[in-house]
Amino acid sequence: MTRYIKRHTLQTRITHGTLAVSCILLAISGLFVFVPPLTALVPPQVTLAMRMAHRVLGIVFILTPLISGLLAPKGAVHFFKNYFEKWDKDDIVWMKRFIPYMLAPKKIHMPDQHEIKSGQRIADGAMILGVVAMAISGALLLAGATFAELGAGLMMAVRLVHDIAFLWLIVFGIAHIYLGAGIFQPYRGTVRLMFGDGKISESDALYHWGHWAREEIDKAENVFDDGKGAVK
Amino acid sequence: MTDSAILYDSSRCSACKGCQSACKCWNGLPSPLGKEAGGCTGSYQSPLELNGDTRLLISFNEKRNEKGGIEWAFARRSCMHCVNPACAAVCPSGTLHVDEASGMVAVSDEKCIGCQYCASACPFGVPHHYGPEPTVNKCTGCVDRIEQGRVPACVKTCQPGALNFGDRAEMLAIAHERVALLKSKGFDKAVVYGEDELDGLHVVSVAKYGLDAAGLPENPQVNDIVDWLGIMKPLTGIGAGAILAGLGLSFLTGVGYKRHTLHYDEVAHDVVDMDTGEVLQHIDVDIDVERKA
Repeated sequence: MTRYIKRHTLQTRITHGTLAVSCILLAISGLFVFVPPLTALVPPQVTLAMRMAHRVLGIVFILTPLISGLLAPKGAVHFFKNYFEKWDKDDIVWMKRFIPYMLAPKKIHMPDQHEIKSGQRIADGAMILGVVAMAISGALLLAGATFAELGAGLMMAVRLVHDIAFLWLIVFGIAHIYLGAGIFQPYRGTVRLMFGDGKISESDALYHWGHWAREEIDKAENVFDDGKGAVK
Repeated sequence: MTDSAILYDSSRCSACKGCQSACKCWNGLPSPLGKEAGGCTGSYQSPLELNGDTRLLISFNEKRNEKGGIEWAFARRSCMHCVNPACAAVCPSGTLHVDEASGMVAVSDEKCIGCQYCASACPFGVPHHYGPEPTVNKCTGCVDRIEQGRVPACVKTCQPGALNFGDRAEMLAIAHERVALLKSKGFDKAVVYGEDELDGLHVVSVAKYGLDAAGLPENPQVNDIVDWLGIMKPLTGIGAGAILAGLGLSFLTGVGYKRHTLHYDEVAHDVVDMDTGEVLQHIDVDIDVERKA
């Protein structure tokens, strides 16, 4: 019998999925503004369509987490609270071993982790900061190009913030996809957490988030048998 | 590249606005029609600023003199066609670019995506955006005319000879000669503008009454952010390449990775390897609770 632990609700998965898709499309459409040679390759109508799509996607990207947070305020508080949890010894050891582990996963063994790994707190926290910077600067750029007089200096500064946030998100985003989509061999199957049913096998949960997995199994509230019925 | 320049000599300008009209005619730009359609501004300057459909403007600096009369200092407001244009440096679509044949900052309208970065970067506040889907509108230097061996439309129409066009060095020589003459006649503030400002401009001006009266910034500066924006593109490429390379290496080292299936016996508090039956970890619940507390 394989036991599964539910980790993410349907709303979380929809929010994450919408953000992921809009983020990737924003990056692609944004490249038509960021990389002039790309613009030169396509007709002006394509560039214009990309520019308009970038604006619409930007609005989706900003509104999705806000709406999700309003629909489930307790979940939003829980989400953010996890990132400010005090680090214990295992968290520190996990972080110290992270780079050696990424380069030698067969040899390096990681300590048990709570609901959010220490490295996850840093990486996801960096992603969240990047997303916030991207969203605010993007909204200001849109306002400045349409109805608001923001002044030349502010517009230039905002554009620089947007470009830095893009670099930031590219680096952390690629790493996030590598781990989250399970391209990294020890993370195989984790894609199911956000793009599947939100459940993780007991074995994988014990491997990735040992403390959290045992707590969940002890509580038995989110534990399912073969991914179907609840154990209790 | 040929280094051309437009010379504007304010000491010869009669502010007839013929250049303004010629610019509109040649470029097919609209004007408000009808009596007082442009609004009364209380000045002969019209419109008050460059806008989406006015690329060239003769400005009137009006001052009451000691005798109670009005003194005017005329100036030409339009693109300065910088030798190193910040607008072209930040333009993401290649709309604004330096015309190799003349050195003028030319415009390819059809490429404009309306981001308005150029308007933010220009130290003279020249580019404006125009139309229902606003695209950039600024002086093109009439590169279409220059290509045909003609002078810009504004220069062609100037009756008092305040505007001239030709080799930049030649225009600068004329300007210096004129300023020397003006100074000899008592116009102490007369100055040449556009020789060294921002590494040089392709519009050289003779400001008869000095820079303040002509509304020209004494030491125009391009925002440092323009340089930073130029760095961001290669930096992002390097960042993306580095992370992909690092993760690629990580992937290669992980090929063949396998691990046993784990199970937690919540009664015995043991983590068990299901493949071998070995107890990998015994959880001391008291310590776990203590740690949590």
